[in-house]
Amino acid sequence: MAAAAAPVEVDSGNGVLQRKQSIYKSMDESFEIQKEMYRGQQYSQIYFARLHLMRTLLYSLLPTWKPHLPICTVLGLEEGKECIIVGTLYKHMKLKPSILDEYSKERSASPLVKPHNFVHSDDYLVLEDESGRVKLRGSLLLPSVYVTGIVVALHGKETGAGDFVVEDILEAGLPHQIELPLNSGEDKYVVFISGLSVGSSSANPLHFQLFVDHITGHLGDEKEQGIAAQIVQVVVAGNSVEFPRGLLNGQNLGSKDQSRLSEPIKELDILLTQIAAGIALDIMPGTSDPANFSLPQQPLHKCLFPGSAAYNTFRSCTNPHSFELDNVRFLGTSGQNIDDLAKYSDAKSKLEFMERTLRWRHLAPTAPNTLGCYPFTDRDPFFIEKCPHVYFVGNQEKYESSLIKGSDGQVVRLICIPRFAETGTAVVLNLRNLECHALSFGTQFSS
Amino acid sequence: MASSDMKGFFRQKKKLGISKPKSSKRSPKPKHSASCGSHLVQPPALVSHGFFDLQDEYDDKEEVLRQFDMNMAYGPCLGMSRLDRWERANALGLHPPKEVENLLRAGKVNSECLWDGRV
Repeated sequence: MAAAAAPVEVDSGNGVLQRKQSIYKSMDESFEIQKEMYRGQQYSQIYFARLHLMRTLLYSLLPTWKPHLPICTVLGLEEGKECIIVGTLYKHMKLKPSILDEYSKERSASPLVKPHNFVHSDDYLVLEDESGRVKLRGSLLLPSVYVTGIVVALHGKETGAGDFVVEDILEAGLPHQIELPLNSGEDKYVVFISGLSVGSSSANPLHFQLFVDHITGHLGDEKEQGIAAQIVQVVVAGNSVEFPRGLLNGQNLGSKDQSRLSEPIKELDILLTQIAAGIALDIMPGTSDPANFSLPQQPLHKCLFPGSAAYNTFRSCTNPHSFELDNVRFLGTSGQNIDDLAKYSDAKSKLEFMERTLRWRHLAPTAPNTLGCYPFTDRDPFFIEKCPHVYFVGNQEKYESSLIKGSDGQVVRLICIPRFAETGTAVVLNLRNLECHALSFGTQFSS
Repeated sequence: MASSDMKGFFRQKKKLGISKPKSSKRSPKPKHSASCGSHLVQPPALVSHGFFDLQDEYDDKEEVLRQFDMNMAYGPCLGMSRLDRWERANALGLHPPKEVENLLRAGKVNSECLWDGRV
């Protein structure tokens, strides 16, 4: 039986301070396991589904882009004939680690996988469809910007050498967005936090406790509490626990080690219960959480949270996670998609990677190439159907945010949520105007 | 006696009596060809001895289904049941042939693609 969350009650003399409420709607259905059965399929199926889905979309955009050019398949290319081809990009990368290197006879002394970024100036792009593949040339298409798995339309022509010289590129672009009446209504806040890493040696439990006390209204005077009462939702975006991996060395665990292993999750549950008792809480799995490895990660099991799962405010969600709050559409991940892009391409900031995924209309184009994902056969759940109003990514180095605009008037707030265990910083978003600021907790006292 | 065709690698089925090469049988051209590419599911080299391998369950219906399997337009066939692949093609708006759906739903045909268990 679920306990209903009690509103924040503070005797402020005039009366009780009530927490604001918002209407929540989960959109995680496509990320949850539906009727999938593993029948030994390989990743060709998901690539086909993705190609077909996005090619149909791009074909519908071609008449407005370059209506006078013929559309060809890769095999149907003729030398010198200017045309448009649509297919999946593949980036050949010199430095990309290959499992076969482990079996190579000429193993050097240096370890096999070290660099954090595998981009090299010799990388080149190839376009592939069902009929074949063609190497891409031209100064327009910078290999360092693109990654394997994006579906695009290219205008150009085949050269004598059999390559395709690119003159112009059409990406899917931002999808349609339902317009919001911005700057209307009252201030309501959503708090994002990620990388709690409860159980790790670097996480300071006092910071998290301070955070919990602040948002539940146990800190500060009436004014502070009034602000805290305007928080309607907390989103925990992955990497909430860090298990002592040293214990997992293949040996059977004694009872003492077993309780040591489960300490972090118990500690997390105690803290989350304090939050769930008063505010709606969404928790997403991340890389270090006890969830499946491949995307989409399934919700953390409720048995891990005996305390907090008793509340109806507690929601265990998938990664990626999509939901609507008072009709404001949110979409976010625990960071794996952007981190993988950072390994295989270059950009000025993480926000730029995020913007690219929106413009490519695909959350995780590098899946399944370098990012683990389930081999779907009939759909690609990472395809972005509707443009979110807020797009967030967890477990980043620092807090960053920007507002991007689409060609059809879409407006998206991009948020990079920093790792709380390292930075002590969470992010607060105002639903009324999509403005964003950082919420930092520190325990250093200047002497 | 070692048979020099593919049959040697797969199902070992005892033949009753002496098998005679059926030289007059040619690959029936499917009336409703579901493929736009090659319609050779039985390469010439294998028919050089005059009979096909995989005689069992290989009839007109199976031929139609194999054409459906080989058709590139509906995506890869390996790893999916034929009906799932037909439904996917339908959902993606590719208008797969109704005949294939009818055959698959009626039953008594191989529900998996031609490469199933062979690759």
